[in-house]
Amino acid sequence: MARREIAIVGWGQTPSQRRAQASEVQLLFEAIDAAVKVAGITRRDIGFTCGGSCDYLTGGPFAFVTNLEATQAWPPIAESHVEMDGAWALYEAWVRLQHGDIDTALVFGSGKSSPTDPGALYPQQLDPYYLQPLGIDPVSLAALQGRALLETGRATEADFAGVVAHSRQAALDNPNAQLRGTTDVSVLLAEPLVRDPLRRHDLPPISDGAAAIVLAAGDRAREISDHPVWIRGLDHRVEPHQPGMRDLTVSTSTTLAAARAGVSDGPIDVAEISSVFSPQELILRDALGLGPGVDVNPSGGPLAANPVMSTGLIRFVEIAHRLAAGDGGRGVAHATNGQCLQHNMVCVMEAP
Amino acid sequence: MPTVADDNVVAEDLVMEQKVTLHYSEPLPPNFVRFGEGLLAGKFIGARCPSCGRVYVPDRGYCPLCAVMMSAADELEVDDKGVVASYTVITPVNYYGQTKTEPFVFASILLDDTTTVMRGQDITGIPTEQVHAGLRVAAVWLPPEERSLEGISARGGASLEGSVTSFAPTGEPDLSEDAYRGYEF
Repeated sequence: MARREIAIVGWGQTPSQRRAQASEVQLLFEAIDAAVKVAGITRRDIGFTCGGSCDYLTGGPFAFVTNLEATQAWPPIAESHVEMDGAWALYEAWVRLQHGDIDTALVFGSGKSSPTDPGALYPQQLDPYYLQPLGIDPVSLAALQGRALLETGRATEADFAGVVAHSRQAALDNPNAQLRGTTDVSVLLAEPLVRDPLRRHDLPPISDGAAAIVLAAGDRAREISDHPVWIRGLDHRVEPHQPGMRDLTVSTSTTLAAARAGVSDGPIDVAEISSVFSPQELILRDALGLGPGVDVNPSGGPLAANPVMSTGLIRFVEIAHRLAAGDGGRGVAHATNGQCLQHNMVCVMEAP
Repeated sequence: MPTVADDNVVAEDLVMEQKVTLHYSEPLPPNFVRFGEGLLAGKFIGARCPSCGRVYVPDRGYCPLCAVMMSAADELEVDDKGVVASYTVITPVNYYGQTKTEPFVFASILLDDTTTVMRGQDITGIPTEQVHAGLRVAAVWLPPEERSLEGISARGGASLEGSVTSFAPTGEPDLSEDAYRGYEF
């Protein structure tokens, strides 16, 4: 069966904040308001809604249900939820639109990382027999990944710092970023290690925020938008949960997803990738096959703003608004889930 | 360390306990700050949706039915009297974290001139078996010096803990179903 053409026609995100006073629903309200406004439609015009959030982050059972208050869910709407980044909500909606009976979808991701200690929270997502009892947190796992990468000889600590310096500089132009500024590699390398070989700036900030995207199919997309950004390829692949069972210095699942999404079918102008820790950007560039001419993370990426549960969806937002504005013709968005790039999604978008 | 080969292994030996405690703290959104200040002053602060006119207590910062944001400009003080729109009597069982031992009421109260109920309110002043829908009730406030915002949360609906202990009958005649139909939950 031929795939239905699906486009991104609306997008919105809140500024990333260290500690937002607004509730998660209020943050979502802002992001969804922006997305439907860009699309030029109302919430009532939406055929299917899918959200991505995490009740552990919020600290309340069924918190994802309350999030629906931002969607105008009365009279009842058709909706779903993933306990994953909003990028996976987008994937579900993209699949749902393939059925052909509806033409529009709203997807969102939201979360506040500030209410609890990420170092205590994130071990809860690990397998309960071998990893969780160790209490190993994402920073420690990322340090193991960084160390493994250094030992291959393919990267140095200066390369990690170079990724950070680029992120901070690029974020100067991003009003939604949390960390920005001009710095250089030697200054960064003089900072102390927090988990060898990572320094504080190699870690993402703790962020609160939300993002939303409106999808539309075929002629409905052309009718709604003067600048639909077409999804040309979308795929996600997953690797074993246990980090000891794979080579952490490469991302096989990203490479597979990129091939199936068609990344190499044409030149890429811009890419937004979920490199949450600086070494991951080097691994992902290779895995995606991005050459030196590709503008990677012009928003500053997750090192500048990491609102967990929307970090991946924001990559789609960043590519969509750039392509819609004529800033490049073909772009890649990448999202990740799990530890050390366990699960990866790749999307190729075009604005002809 | 027992193994499954041991004859003396009991079920408890095969269970690994791993209790986890996570602490959460979150600033109150501005609408809840204003609601909390109202409670300390002995008032219920609600908000009227500028689109549909429904009155929410407390102000959630938005009307979910119209999908419009609300602000301090939409807020108003509402009476602390209302009607029991629905209720249940809960007989507590001894699960982890349960502090209650005696049957208690879990009532939804529709305050006068509002259009959203305050859920999960206790009814005191009459035997639980006499609680019924239509009963006129008023808030039972703690003395001003004993009020605090300890129990107020950024999540969910009305969190009155710390200022209002329960609702109690006013002695007025019951209201008919017409007064609360559609607001049972």
